[in-house]
Amino acid sequence: MKTFVQVNGRIREVELVERLGELVVALDGEPFEVSYDEVDPYGQVILLHNGEGFALSIEGDGHTTAVTLAGHRYDCALEDERERAANLAARAAAKGGGPVKAVMSGVVLELMVAVGDDVVEGQRLLILEAMKMQNEICATGPGVVAALHVEPGQAVAAGDKLLTLSAKE
Amino acid sequence: MFDRILIANRGEIALRVIRTAREMGIECVAVYSDVDARALHTRMAHVAVPLGGSTPAESYLDQDKIIAAAKRTGAQAIHPGYGFLSERAAFAKRVQDEGLVWIGPPPSAIEAMGDKIDSRRAMVKAGVPCVPGLIDPVDDHVAGAREAAKIGFPICIKASAGGGGKGIRVVRDPKDMATAFKAASSEALASFGDGRMYLERYLDQPRHIEVQVLFDAHGNGVHLFERECSIQRRHQKLIEEAPSVVIDADTRRRMGEVALQAAAAVGYVSAGTIEFLWSKGEFYFLEMNTRLQVEHPVTEMITGIDLVREQLRIAYGEPLGYGQDDLQITGHAIEVRINAENPFAGFLPSTGTISNLRTPGGPWTRLDSSMYRGMEVGLAYDPMLAKLIVWGSDREQAIARMVRAIQETNVGGVHTGLPAALQVFQHPEFRAGNFDTHFLEGLKIQSPEVYEDLIVVAAAIHRHRLAKRRALAPTASERSGWTSSNRTDVAGYVRRAGSQEVSR
Repeated sequence: MKTFVQVNGRIREVELVERLGELVVALDGEPFEVSYDEVDPYGQVILLHNGEGFALSIEGDGHTTAVTLAGHRYDCALEDERERAANLAARAAAKGGGPVKAVMSGVVLELMVAVGDDVVEGQRLLILEAMKMQNEICATGPGVVAALHVEPGQAVAAGDKLLTLSAKE
Repeated sequence: MFDRILIANRGEIALRVIRTAREMGIECVAVYSDVDARALHTRMAHVAVPLGGSTPAESYLDQDKIIAAAKRTGAQAIHPGYGFLSERAAFAKRVQDEGLVWIGPPPSAIEAMGDKIDSRRAMVKAGVPCVPGLIDPVDDHVAGAREAAKIGFPICIKASAGGGGKGIRVVRDPKDMATAFKAASSEALASFGDGRMYLERYLDQPRHIEVQVLFDAHGNGVHLFERECSIQRRHQKLIEEAPSVVIDADTRRRMGEVALQAAAAVGYVSAGTIEFLWSKGEFYFLEMNTRLQVEHPVTEMITGIDLVREQLRIAYGEPLGYGQDDLQITGHAIEVRINAENPFAGFLPSTGTISNLRTPGGPWTRLDSSMYRGMEVGLAYDPMLAKLIVWGSDREQAIARMVRAIQETNVGGVHTGLPAALQVFQHPEFRAGNFDTHFLEGLKIQSPEVYEDLIVVAAAIHRHRLAKRRALAPTASERSGWTSSNRTDVAGYVRRAGSQEVSR
């Protein structure tokens, strides 16, 4: 079974095959010798690779997973082949546009764009206040503001749609 | 000494106070909001009183509820910690009027240092160096240029009603002054409806250096040297250390004297901190924090003095019992704040449940923490979860120890700023001592490529195991019976005053 793991902006391919209870691993098509041992049910893991041991911490639901090693944290996004095909199709359909969602709960302080505005990558779209901090929410790519789903003063939860961008013609 | 005190705070600082009080044989009363019913400070106190509510205003800021809790439990004194009510002069006064002891400075000292402009006036009068600048704002460019010439360049023009970086200009050449003033003033007028501007000397490569002072109620005062807190972002400190690499013995003595002078000018008693801006060998008064500070442990580590113990002794009326010559710096200490924030996404606040916790240990490693597995990190309170403090015989050893301690640590379920701190400690410029308050903002936080192969393989195997386990696991409804009863456990030795009032 193939799994696509996105980390630090790169996508890597891991193939896992269970053979007689043993896990055989290939990374980007090359055999990868590893042993994986769970210490507890909370995510402490011992990894052995090339004679070295690594104490990892892993949390997540299998789609978004955080791995911490030696104080460094890696946020990974995982897809299997079926999910990857579906997500690629969805991304192609949106052509770079799509909804901008709140990454945390908070209160919308100020909207800096209106419907119909052209936005460029990195442009400030709105200010969301959470934990007494004003956080600027910026466009991750170019587009046109297709709809606003919130107004100033409105409280939003993490994952709520803030506005929708459509692709630039 | 007091028999029983109330701690009007939560989180790691409430625990910090409880720990010293327990060592001194003093009983502690904790207070808690509904969301903190399981928090560590409620479990480690002798008595825990529910305040109800979930916002700060309904709980830790509700003066009536806190005074009532102190009276009901027979507490003789109130320790405010930091934040919340710690710098409210009116609350301090009220505590005293109710016949309780306020473990902190006199209300008049809190008030005198509470206002930026008033405190600056008082400090100038006391002969304390302040950043050269205007006390009263001006609104016209001719007056602006005239005043600027007196203050000296480079100069910073700031909106009187400012905020968010609007209406701020830095002018290095006097001939640009008029143009810059007009532009900044009209921007301020448009944004805030007020075109009046403050002028202040602009300090290049500023470093944040502060001096800890202790005054007893008998007129004795000492300073406990400096702390450097230049690794910060939007005035939120991330890393603090003591001593500072840029302060030599002579400057340390002068800063200490100025700090004592500043505190004495407002009749200070208890522990307090004078904050300075340091630039190219000169230092200027910024403000005074009239309370215990978050970063106080680094001072404790290099002086061997327990600052909470001193606060309690001073509040009880004991004299300090030592003088400036009895104090010295031993070694080097560093602190990192463990905040729930995502350093890979502009330090946005991070929320979640701490599902997986591995804490550091070992020689000269101290963790002042409010964290426990299962703790929910929400948006209601300050995002600081813990502080990691280490001591070393010199700065290099302290940095190496801190790197080691961070590498042992894992806080799973939320993001923390630890990867950013690790990157700072491994940065050659930080190690060399070459940094200022802009250092952290200029750093791109990223994880090293060297571990990526291991990471992606581990993530994929984790997903595979999860899927296998899910296929074998019973459904949620079959499990709910035993999980919920297990979760209501509360440490047995805590007597909960009026816990029947807490709705569960």
